[in-house]
Amino acid sequence: MKNIIRHPQKSLAAKLIIAIGLLMVIGSSVFWYAIFQKQEKDLSAIAVRYGGSLVNFIKEGTRDSMLAGHRSAIQQTLEDISIAEGVERVRIFDHKGKISFSTFREDIGKTVEKDSLSCRACHSDTEKSYELLQEPRKNSIYKAPDGFTALKLVEPVYNESSCYISKCHVHSREQKIIGFIEVDTSLALLDEAKLKQGLALIAYVFIFIVVISISLGIILYKIVSKPVSELTHGMEKIAAGDFNYSVPIKSEDEMGTLARTFNSMIKDIKAARDQREVWTHTLETEIAKKTEEIQKTHAGLVQTEKLASLGRMAAGVAHEINNPLTGIVTFAYLMKKNVSPESQEAEDLNVIIEQAERCSKIIKNLLAFARAAPSEKGRISINKVLAQTIYMVQNQEKFYNIKFEINMDESDFTTLGDASQFQQIFLNMIINAADAMNGRGTITIATRKITVNDKPYVEIAFSDTGCGIPEENLSKLFEPFFTTKPVGKGTGLGLSVSHGILKNYGGQIEVKSTIGKGTTFFIKLVLIEE
Amino acid sequence: MKKVLVIDDEQIVRISCERTLAPEGYEVTSASSTNEGLELFENNSFDLILLDIKMPDMDGIEALKKIKAARPETNVIMITGYSTVDTAVKTLKLGAINYIEKPFTPDILLAAVKEVFDT
Repeated sequence: MKNIIRHPQKSLAAKLIIAIGLLMVIGSSVFWYAIFQKQEKDLSAIAVRYGGSLVNFIKEGTRDSMLAGHRSAIQQTLEDISIAEGVERVRIFDHKGKISFSTFREDIGKTVEKDSLSCRACHSDTEKSYELLQEPRKNSIYKAPDGFTALKLVEPVYNESSCYISKCHVHSREQKIIGFIEVDTSLALLDEAKLKQGLALIAYVFIFIVVISISLGIILYKIVSKPVSELTHGMEKIAAGDFNYSVPIKSEDEMGTLARTFNSMIKDIKAARDQREVWTHTLETEIAKKTEEIQKTHAGLVQTEKLASLGRMAAGVAHEINNPLTGIVTFAYLMKKNVSPESQEAEDLNVIIEQAERCSKIIKNLLAFARAAPSEKGRISINKVLAQTIYMVQNQEKFYNIKFEINMDESDFTTLGDASQFQQIFLNMIINAADAMNGRGTITIATRKITVNDKPYVEIAFSDTGCGIPEENLSKLFEPFFTTKPVGKGTGLGLSVSHGILKNYGGQIEVKSTIGKGTTFFIKLVLIEE
Repeated sequence: MKKVLVIDDEQIVRISCERTLAPEGYEVTSASSTNEGLELFENNSFDLILLDIKMPDMDGIEALKKIKAARPETNVIMITGYSTVDTAVKTLKLGAINYIEKPFTPDILLAAVKEVFDT
């Protein structure tokens, strides 16, 4: 509503109101003007009619006095009549304009001016009095000197036998018109009435337009402006991103249809946007997942490359060390032959040989990690190898206080490889688990089938309830010689060898650990489907 | 007296072989490179050749092929730093009698050498 008043150029309703208002002002003005004109004409006709009857009354009232020649009686009659309201002047003059009687006595005997309305009623050219108009204007309305309109009536008095045979002999038989009765009446009352009527009409028109405009304004506001502004408000809300907004228009007209269509459109847009958001979210999750996978793969590759280069280096070193070790062992043996087997020297030499053999063992492991070459490749039953490994350790003193929980999948998983190498890996896992728990706790071994990159894998999980692995050690776990076990207890090659073997078979090893809760190693091996 | 040729680039390995085998009654000749060994092999007659697989100038396997091509009856025991079944099987297929892994003890060496002449 405010908009209609403050910014009419911006309001549809205001424009409509102005247009309709202007049309109404013009239309009603024309209509009322026509009515006004008609009324004026009708009033004038009534005035003429009454004036005519007054003239007839004078004509008949003076007839007898005329015939009898009683001039004073005629004069008296005229003066009596002039007393009536509105009658300004009554005159009787002959066809030459000579005034015989008049309510204004000073006029008697004078001649009516040829150019006056009195003569022009019948004569077009007052200089040639014989030229008569086809239709004489017996009455004419003119502006009186007092400012009001006045009506002049001129009635000819025709000659008749009683006139020219009367005793006075004033009129001859040949005369057609013997004189004129002229009455001037004031139309001041009529003027006043018309003025009042005109003012009333203007007031009516004004009130009419105001009432219609206000009603129209209210109607337009209700059916056009308000719905349009609600729609605009709705669009602004949508533009600002509030897709939950719906336009509250319930009408059944075009506005209602527009609002329903608009609401339905917004619903569709919202649905599409929600869908898009879901997609975006899914995409983001997918990207995050893929990024994590890539990072993992990358880390794996880096680790593998690191281990591979370490392996190459270790192999080189191992090969070089083997030569001096051969010398050490050989010469220790040779020296041993020259001393008594019971002597201290023989004992010392045995230490040299033992330690050299220990070196040799370490090197063998190192070479196993470096090369991890498949020896006897064949179909291996994972369940069988696992069962054998568990059986092997269960009766050892080290595992007396360890509970084994086996959750093996019913299906027997088959993979390609060397059973002894897998046993080595599994043994490694179990011994590590036992060490992490200080020989007390639960080792859970579970197998299940998984799919990685559309390929079937068997996942073997070794979980312990041990101390867990600190975050900073996780990345070093598979490096050769990395160990947290006491000196002499571990070589730090178990996991790196396992990693090397698994790599050769296209397998993987991963670890998840929580400090104080335990560690789980996941071994994944390519599955051969039966 | 059985004549044994040791081809190994490592002096300590050659000495070890000499010191192990000589007291047992073998005549040991040493070569520090494959080329030198092959030259000795061409000009002399040996009952057994101990041949290292990894040599700087020529691969031990190549040398084995040449030896077997020249005199197929020659007894060859490979010395390997790479204790893998793959390499061993390969050398055995090419005609080597046996292989011993470094580091070896005098007992292992003697057992392998004796085995050649006992059979």
